[in-house]
Amino acid sequence: MASIIIEAAGLTKSYGEICALKPLDLSVPEGEWLSVMGHSGSGKSTLLNLVGGLDRPTAGTLKVGGEDLLGRDEDGLARFRREFVGIIFQQHHLVPYLTALENVMLAQYFHSLPDEAEARTALERVGLGRRLKNRPGELSGGEQQRVCIARAIINSPRLLLGDEPTGNLDGSSTTMVLELLRELRSQERFTVVMVTHNQEVADWGDRTIHMDDGLLVREERKVF
Amino acid sequence: MVFLKQIPQFLVWMLLLLLLLRGFPGRRRAVSFWSTGGFALGVAGYLLLARLLPVRVPLGIIRSVMGGSFLLLWGVAVASLYRSTVRDFPLLRLDRFTPLCAMVGSGAAGLMAGGICANQLPAPDGSLLRFLPFLLLPLAGALLAVIARSVEGVVIPSYAATPSSLLAAVVALLLLSSSAAITLDLFSPLSMKVMKGTHDFVHQFMESILIPDHLFIRPEIWGYIGFLFGKEVGFWGGMIIWFTPVLLIALAIWLEPLPSVAQFRQGARRRLLLAAAIREKKHRMVIPALALVAFAAAAYRSSFPSVEYWDPKPLAVTATPAGEILIPRKGEVELEDGRMHKYLYKQGDKEVRFFILMNPSGKLTVDLDACAICKPDGYGQTEGMLLCYYCKTLIPLDTVGRPGGCNPVPVPFRELEDGVHLDASSLVNSWNQTVQSTTRSKEGGK
Repeated sequence: MASIIIEAAGLTKSYGEICALKPLDLSVPEGEWLSVMGHSGSGKSTLLNLVGGLDRPTAGTLKVGGEDLLGRDEDGLARFRREFVGIIFQQHHLVPYLTALENVMLAQYFHSLPDEAEARTALERVGLGRRLKNRPGELSGGEQQRVCIARAIINSPRLLLGDEPTGNLDGSSTTMVLELLRELRSQERFTVVMVTHNQEVADWGDRTIHMDDGLLVREERKVF
Repeated sequence: MVFLKQIPQFLVWMLLLLLLLRGFPGRRRAVSFWSTGGFALGVAGYLLLARLLPVRVPLGIIRSVMGGSFLLLWGVAVASLYRSTVRDFPLLRLDRFTPLCAMVGSGAAGLMAGGICANQLPAPDGSLLRFLPFLLLPLAGALLAVIARSVEGVVIPSYAATPSSLLAAVVALLLLSSSAAITLDLFSPLSMKVMKGTHDFVHQFMESILIPDHLFIRPEIWGYIGFLFGKEVGFWGGMIIWFTPVLLIALAIWLEPLPSVAQFRQGARRRLLLAAAIREKKHRMVIPALALVAFAAAAYRSSFPSVEYWDPKPLAVTATPAGEILIPRKGEVELEDGRMHKYLYKQGDKEVRFFILMNPSGKLTVDLDACAICKPDGYGQTEGMLLCYYCKTLIPLDTVGRPGGCNPVPVPFRELEDGVHLDASSLVNSWNQTVQSTTRSKEGGK
């Protein structure tokens, strides 16, 4: 039986009087692909930010990789994000004046040390071996997202978080990105938590949770 | 007031304790105990020796130990560099002896620091008031040890000290502490030794190949050779010897190989380990950097010794028509008070400076205010010593009156009931010869 990588109990997040996430209990086994669905403002990105150590909960407990995230100070959280988590955003957030290779090496730099050969291999794995020296503006949306994937996996995270990573992509690019993620997950054995509002994208996961107004309202497990 | 003057020494003592505590993290209690005990023993030992023996004996012991430590540092620095090239060096495998090293190192460092601090206090004369600071000094040392131990707790643990960098920092701080007193300062004598060594080598070399008569050596060549006799060569040569050990230790740390990470499949894991090793290496450079600063401060302080020296204004004297200069035994000055008394004799446009001094053995001596090596910048007097203003060499008072080296050039004189009688013409000749030879040396002559 796989160990539990994310364990939340009564997890709550409020911004002033607005309760973005109401007490939520969640358990994610290691290696699972969990899709989080919901409308805008349903609390899915808030959940992702809490699990990724980008934000702190207002109440409840949250253990990721067996460690209590609430007990970590700012440096500890930064180390957690650096060494444990990879994140793919909808808007890519690539540095526009750096090449694809340099964008990946930047993630290595903040993690530990830049290693050009390793970064080159990562980009080759996502099919961008011939676009290493291109800047983000010279790449298509799908290619940019593949750079983001290379950047997210370069530090071998145990947890890959996706915040609508295919939101800006057309159908074929979406499929290409999701297939790539699936292939990499089978090789690297990381856990995926992907926020989406697209049922087709959510169906790529092993399990889908539906959120509404900060509450977990429904859960679907894929039947193989 | 006495303790205010000790503030820099106390700061150095605190830093020394911090370093020792950092150097032996598992032995904090032993380090505190032995260093504080050593400090108290250093104060007591200095006091005892200074009371029983002439003051130069404890000073000589401290200087010798400091010199020995500096030589040891040189050896350790070379061995560290050798070891950094992955060669095993059994002498530096000190892990087994850590408890012994903590005890002996802390005790010895405390002993030296205590002796140096005690030397800064006014010599005791039997009164309780002069004796009290010697009692309070070990207490102040112990109090600072307590403070240092609590301060050390907040220092980041990764700022670890290697044995060689710890030794470098301890020696540097002790040298910085001792450089406050010209009687303990090592840098100035070191630069002087370099200058003298260069001078003697060139001199012997020239003598051996009879250069003065050589056909191919034109007079202007002496201009270049003369550069070697200058103060600058001594200064920069001394600087090289002074700073090289700590630079070698820093280089050894820098050259240390990174750990092998080939066994890790994940690139990220490999990079993390390498980054941690590099970060640790950078942190280990902090203590050699601190030692470098302490060495620089010690060299700088050597130019401004805090001990005040006796520097009398030369009194003008004249010669009788028979060409004799008479300095009365008791008159404007007391010749037999053990202090140097300077005089100025003018003959035409020539000015001759000389001094009269009664040395510790009770003999009067008359000497030029110049030596046969340095430029005639003259001498000052400090406790038990003369100081050459040009090269900062210290000359024990009981050797004044003997010719050679950096000693002032003795002048023939007659000691009669009424005072000291000098022959003016031989005084002028002696001055001219000395000044001409040293000037020629400095300007390119041999």
